[in-house]
Amino acid sequence: MQITTKSSRVYWVTPAVGVACGLIYLIAFSLGGHPGYGLIALGVMVAFSAGIALVGRRSETVRGLLDHRDERLAGIDLRATAVTAVIMILAVLAGFVIEVARGHDGAPFALIGAVGGVAYLGAVGYFRVRG
Amino acid sequence: MHDKQTLHQAGHPARGRPVRNDVRERRTAKGLAQAELARELAVSRQTINSIETGRYTPSLPLAIAIARFFGTAVEEIFHADHD
Repeated sequence: MQITTKSSRVYWVTPAVGVACGLIYLIAFSLGGHPGYGLIALGVMVAFSAGIALVGRRSETVRGLLDHRDERLAGIDLRATAVTAVIMILAVLAGFVIEVARGHDGAPFALIGAVGGVAYLGAVGYFRVRG
Repeated sequence: MHDKQTLHQAGHPARGRPVRNDVRERRTAKGLAQAELARELAVSRQTINSIETGRYTPSLPLAIAIARFFGTAVEEIFHADHD
């Protein structure tokens, strides 16, 4: 399959973000006094990133999810992200309700829910202007 | 509101009704495999298969690219005559 330079760059974004997250975890665990856990977290993220990059060479679906060349797979990625967001919202709401019922102030679920709500409104406004 | 009713009455594809197409017939007439057509259109073979089986309605840019590849107009390949 013909891969353009731009698609090749996009292909590596997700694995690169995975490795970057691993490095951030390493720094965070080290600052918290647990560098060993940080190395384990980095190893997991590097293995995950290498795994999806390698699978993407053989799987048309994984490659499409990584390089976003294919409009149908990009649409599937978008819908899957939306479903994931709905499930996350339900989990946050459940966590908030449970925390409040236990006599607490709802933290950290209230803050996460507020961030999600503001992000949604911002996104609606942005895409409304962008058409 | 009026526009919505018009789109609905016309059976607009955005309402979830797939558009019938002749992609498979035109591809096989050219002696092409799905993978070859996918390569020409820079999409996946799965997407060509989904279009041919009516499970996926392509975007307007992709529909135009398909029509141009076969040297015809979009409405000659894609048919919105649901009734």
